Amino acid sequence: MSFIDTALNVLSNVVLLLGLFFVFVGMIGLLRLPDVYNRLHATTKVATLGAFGVMSSIVLNVGFTPIGIKAITVGLFLLLTAPVASHMIGRAAKRHGVELCEESVIDEYIISGETD
Amino acid sequence: MKRYIYYSIPLGIMWCFVHGTINIENFLLGSVLGIIVIRPFRELYHFEEELSFKRAIGKIPNQIHYFMVLIVEIIKASIMVAKIVLSPKMDIKPGIIAVPLRTKTSGGITAIANTITLTPGTLTIDVADDRSVLYVHSIDASDPESIRKSIRDDLEKFVLEAFE
Repeated sequence: MSFIDTALNVLSNVVLLLGLFFVFVGMIGLLRLPDVYNRLHATTKVATLGAFGVMSSIVLNVGFTPIGIKAITVGLFLLLTAPVASHMIGRAAKRHGVELCEESVIDEYIISGETD
Repeated sequence: MKRYIYYSIPLGIMWCFVHGTINIENFLLGSVLGIIVIRPFRELYHFEEELSFKRAIGKIPNQIHYFMVLIVEIIKASIMVAKIVLSPKMDIKPGIIAVPLRTKTSGGITAIANTITLTPGTLTIDVADDRSVLYVHSIDASDPESIRKSIRDDLEKFVLEAFE
């Protein structure tokens, strides 16, 4: 096993651990943060980066084989779709009248017309 | 017909990526399937607009720059939220802020909304009906003016360069 292979293997494991750590933090955030909007912060950003880290680790491990290329595709789609999902959850919650938590300092939201 | 070919090229490349092997047969198969997919969703593509290959290719450097900025911002955002989540005493001042928009195109607004969601401390909730205001939830809304300013000056600039 050459030096580069070993280095890539170690790097892949490090990225995998980082990704799992961020997924873990995202789940703790989901449990600890006070209301639906703050929880979306934790799941959207942190957990997306975590999943992206796991995908990057696969790419580093197997290189540009069919599996690696599929992992790249999955990672890019995660980055594209996670914000859309969180946006829809937040919008639906706000329109159904879910209140902000007590610590909130400002609310400039005006519900626009029913159509759309 | 020229437009169908133009729009099916990205779909062909995507087919290669989903399949996992990048070669000319897969690309052609994906492009042909792409034309079939584009046909029923014609309204989503801008068939009335004048298209130019030169303009689309000229945007690519800006888009690569935009993705670099985006990745760095995502990492910063995750570290920031991780700090908040892991601190023993949770000290947050969340709130919803109205942010005025300059761009009016659907693509530009989508790009800005997604970018805001992935950057530190902010999350897009809704867009106003007249497309002039985005409602942004921030995990630290103690200074709304500075958040508006940072979105307008930093993010919107990159998005306008890359997608307008």
